[in-house]
Amino acid sequence: MNGYENPDIPEGINVTQEHPLKEFGQLVIGVTALIIILALAFSELGAYAARHLTLEQEVALAHRMLPAMWTETAAEPAEQAERKHLQELADRLARHMAIPAAMPVTVHYSAEPVVNAMATLGGHIVVYQGLLDATKDSETALAMVMAHELAHIKLRHPATAMGRGFAVALLLSTFAGLGDNVMQGWANSVGTLTALRYSREQEAAADSLALETVYREYGTVKGAEIFFEHASAEDNGLTPPAILSTHPSHEERIRKIQNFAAKESGAE
Amino acid sequence: MILTNIETVPGKTIVKHLGLVNGNTVRAKHAGKDLLAGLKNIVGGELKAYTELLQESRDEATQRMIEQANAVGANAVVNVRYSTSSVSAGAAELFAYGTAVVVE
Amino acid sequence: MYDLIVFLTLIALGYGFGQHAERKHFRSILEREKELKTLLCFSERRIPEQEVPVQGQLVSGSVVISIDYFKQFVAGLRNLFGGRVTAYESLLERARREAILRMKEQARDLGADSVWNVRLETAAISQGAQRQQVGSMEVMAYGTALIRKT
Repeated sequence: MNGYENPDIPEGINVTQEHPLKEFGQLVIGVTALIIILALAFSELGAYAARHLTLEQEVALAHRMLPAMWTETAAEPAEQAERKHLQELADRLARHMAIPAAMPVTVHYSAEPVVNAMATLGGHIVVYQGLLDATKDSETALAMVMAHELAHIKLRHPATAMGRGFAVALLLSTFAGLGDNVMQGWANSVGTLTALRYSREQEAAADSLALETVYREYGTVKGAEIFFEHASAEDNGLTPPAILSTHPSHEERIRKIQNFAAKESGAE
Repeated sequence: MILTNIETVPGKTIVKHLGLVNGNTVRAKHAGKDLLAGLKNIVGGELKAYTELLQESRDEATQRMIEQANAVGANAVVNVRYSTSSVSAGAAELFAYGTAVVVE
Repeated sequence: MYDLIVFLTLIALGYGFGQHAERKHFRSILEREKELKTLLCFSERRIPEQEVPVQGQLVSGSVVISIDYFKQFVAGLRNLFGGRVTAYESLLERARREAILRMKEQARDLGADSVWNVRLETAAISQGAQRQQVGSMEVMAYGTALIRKT
């Protein structure tokens, strides 16, 4: 077998000599930037479209989309009374906000022990028993939360958030056809983070308007921070970082109320 | 470098056989091309972007094989075979191999 | 939040273990290649004239190798931009050399000095059920071992 041999082939011809972490870094930054830019652009488009929804259309849409339990009046007399009381509070606060007549504010009561309230499409607000329990010592505290939800409605946050949500979901669904499921998970997380940014902006704007409203109604914002203090105590300090939250931190919101109070008392 | 896919190099004599050499590359096509190809799949026909990409990648695999052949001192590769396989959705491996030889 | 922690843990685990396994595998490949250097491999079908009586025997070696989470992620991102998927290149290089080594080991156990008409096959397996899922690759090497008759 003369002339037959297997010499050594040098290493590295078939493998690209590049550190895997370098490629990883470049790709993660590239893809993240791409998704953030697209998500922001789609968000703005969605919000733009939502702003073109008339109030009447929004009310009609809410009527069709929302669960039936909210549109029915509560069955028990005690709940009825509670609802009526909350509705009166909302109407009093709404006078200071100039909420258009085409968007009637409807307050619903839920006996669930959740310490929260929420505003949704078509001027509907849900107040939970848990919130009433937490703020039973101070009407200002309840009024602060109510005014906050009213501010969401006044500023049309539910519709804007819905428009943004749809647009970003549409964008992310096109990513679903590409790459691996890991990659999709990443795209979803990054897309959600941009949505959270808008959410925090909306909450901060609603807080500002709510503070002004409470001040106009009661002449003071004393006690407005009770709800946040309560919520803060419940967290036991286990709060995720701001970038991962839908709301500004409780401390930040309490500080804001205190600043407002200090400013008002200084002005008098 | 002479490449053939038969046992010999016509008109020349093999004086030395240097064994297996191979070249491979894995390539992904970018998402834009994926979308266009998806549309093209509706009407059928040649996917030019893919043809080009695979050809380019195959050239690279061949180039790497030639590099290995050069490194062992060969001046021809006989019995060259190509194989293509899909590694994941959207990425394909192109692979070339053959026997490096010295011809006169 | 928890998803992110799980994800980062998997990435870190994939990177740590994957890189370690790859380096270890390459070391073992180099060592065994040196050991089996005297056993020659050719992709030619024509076997030169032998001085001693010989017999042929089909030998093969195969390996199924899976990608780690880190590489899978990098390859997934790479799919968006296109280009060379380096994560897979080293994976397949390893798999191929391992398959050839296993074929050579089989040939050596049969007492052969050379393998002829070596062919290599690559196939993506466990990709059927879920199209998106990156599965594992099989590489198979086969050829005819030449054994001296004693």
